[in-house]
Amino acid sequence: MNAPILQARGLMRHFITNKPLFGAPSIVQAVNGVDFEIIEGETFAIVGESGCGKSTLARLLSHLIEASEGSVIYDGREISGLTGAELRDLRREMQFIFQDPFSSLNPRMTVGALIGEPLRIHKIGTPAERRAKVAELLRKVGLRPEHADRYPHEFSGGQRQRIGIARALATGPRIVIGDEPVSALDVSIQAQVVNILEDLKDEFGLTLIIIAHDLAVIRHVADRVAVMYLGEIVELGEAAEVFAAPAHPYTEALLSAIPIPATGARKVQTKIEGDPPNPISPPSGCRFHTRCTYVQDICRTERPQLRDMDQGRRVACHFADNMSLEGIRTDNQARPPAVARRFARYSAARASMTANTESAKLEKEE
Amino acid sequence: MTASKPLLDVRGLSIRVAGAARPLVDDVSFSLDAGETLCIVGESGCGKSLTALALMGLLEGTPLRIDGGTAEFQETDLLSAPQATLRALRGDRIAMIFQEPMTSLNPALKIGDQIAEAVCEHRDVSREAGRARALEMLKRVRIPAAESRLDEYPYQLSGGMRQRVMIAMALANDPALLIADEPTTALDVTIQAQILDLMRNLGRETGAAQIMITHDLGVVAEMADKVAVMYAGRIVEAGTVTQIFDDPQHPYTLGLMSSMPSLAGRSERLVTIPGTVPSPLDMPVGCRFAPRCPFADAACEAPPQLVDLEAGHRVACWHAPIEQAEPTPAWRETA
Repeated sequence: MNAPILQARGLMRHFITNKPLFGAPSIVQAVNGVDFEIIEGETFAIVGESGCGKSTLARLLSHLIEASEGSVIYDGREISGLTGAELRDLRREMQFIFQDPFSSLNPRMTVGALIGEPLRIHKIGTPAERRAKVAELLRKVGLRPEHADRYPHEFSGGQRQRIGIARALATGPRIVIGDEPVSALDVSIQAQVVNILEDLKDEFGLTLIIIAHDLAVIRHVADRVAVMYLGEIVELGEAAEVFAAPAHPYTEALLSAIPIPATGARKVQTKIEGDPPNPISPPSGCRFHTRCTYVQDICRTERPQLRDMDQGRRVACHFADNMSLEGIRTDNQARPPAVARRFARYSAARASMTANTESAKLEKEE
Repeated sequence: MTASKPLLDVRGLSIRVAGAARPLVDDVSFSLDAGETLCIVGESGCGKSLTALALMGLLEGTPLRIDGGTAEFQETDLLSAPQATLRALRGDRIAMIFQEPMTSLNPALKIGDQIAEAVCEHRDVSREAGRARALEMLKRVRIPAAESRLDEYPYQLSGGMRQRVMIAMALANDPALLIADEPTTALDVTIQAQILDLMRNLGRETGAAQIMITHDLGVVAEMADKVAVMYAGRIVEAGTVTQIFDDPQHPYTLGLMSSMPSLAGRSERLVTIPGTVPSPLDMPVGCRFAPRCPFADAACEAPPQLVDLEAGHRVACWHAPIEQAEPTPAWRETA
């Protein structure tokens, strides 16, 4: 196992949402004391529902916003104190891919200027070298060098997300953080972008941090996963282990809620009722106790610590040791032979559509 | 599929933008029996929402025109009926739920008044009776403390609660048909599960048929009795939920299923569908999926008809079933 490249230590971020003239302001504890480390070369996923603080956490990790308390340590250095040239170095090595490819690209800039901008800011290469680099990046994300002269509005959502990826890769980062990088895309386009991310990760030896709410995508890309609820990490571990045998009741509930695209899979049996509580006044004790089916008295008063279990698993639940929770049911029946042959034929035929015919077809469409 | 007359029988529905060369929704046909749930599944721009809007008579005032077809619902052709007839049907016999519950509720009206308004519009009842019905409906969609919610405004509710209010309003007049356009797409997965549970149970209780429009094959498998897969304005495959998931035939359906990451295990690379959906202004003449299809050949330059492969399982592909088709050199398996 490699060394940690990024560590979070007691990381907190509070936002003041309403500051009345008199009286106490309302404070949202968006991220409330999280500790973890990310290993060089892994894909680390942070998963949770709206408002759980996963995007705030991503922004804290990349120093896009300041922490209220705690620290982020990148490569042995604390990032909160960085200024000037050091901060610029950090930005070069840690890049961000945003969710919405329609609002994250400046509509007045050409694609070439957009991808070349990070290079220009970091003063990497001569103008000619930068142009060559932009062309190379475009090819790497499955676009063509000629696309450099066009504007973002000429591209589809999936193509724009490829441009966002090319821009993130321009400075040769070591860490790429994707905040819901594929959730705005259609299924077929999402698969293309997931494949590109995985290929580029291998090619450049990137460490990927993926924030997402789509658990199937997480299962596919992540080595390790952290599950967040109301600003806290409730469970962390190897993705395969967490999905097969969750140790926190919230993880179990989350997994049970996913609709499975197969017949014979169970019909939804919701293990969780109601809405998440308001983060301005989170519940006492364990923050999940108001919705937990296994709740006991101690959960209402005492906050469980995230503690180590077997195989690098960490869980914040008082009863994690003596509960056996249900994971994803792998009740996939084998397909009938004729249908299996049909799928095999599809993937074989798909694979033989060479890159050339693919780009020829793309060209024809435009 | 049954001998009796279906509740809704759509035949040859086409929708066109004035002046466009080819229709946006092209020759869409399906039928629905009482109590059944049909899921229309497809990606952005496939025409699934347009189909729903056309059935509701909501294309008025847009540049879109219904270009042909009929949709018979309880002796009325929804596509040619005058607006007055449709207005009487909408919210009464046919109700609709939209994706974004915040924008489809009136922010200036209390929850209770909005539901009561829907009741009083179609029933000759007093305001008190309308309000009583609103309370009853809020309880049925399991909104906690329903009494006090009656006098709250939409902004005071969470997304999941708003969608419950939308469902309560839609079902207030016991419609025979409920059309839901991506009802859970804007919601978190645990809230989505609650809403799907609720819709399935209410469907069973009230006997309302449902048309659910979604892009999520997981939701389809959970909810549907019958499925229609749409691509670029046409139905490419239709059948029972078992036929579609256990015996998918159309290359687009195969591609869609192969594109989805599996929850069961970390598979190898995802098998994708290349390219993007054709622009509505530049639809292919023949099979609309052909430019992205690994099996496309000369035959695909003519539009394939949706034909019965077996009872109730319709596929629009010249090469189905693919495992039996003779591979042409273009797509022979590579050794």
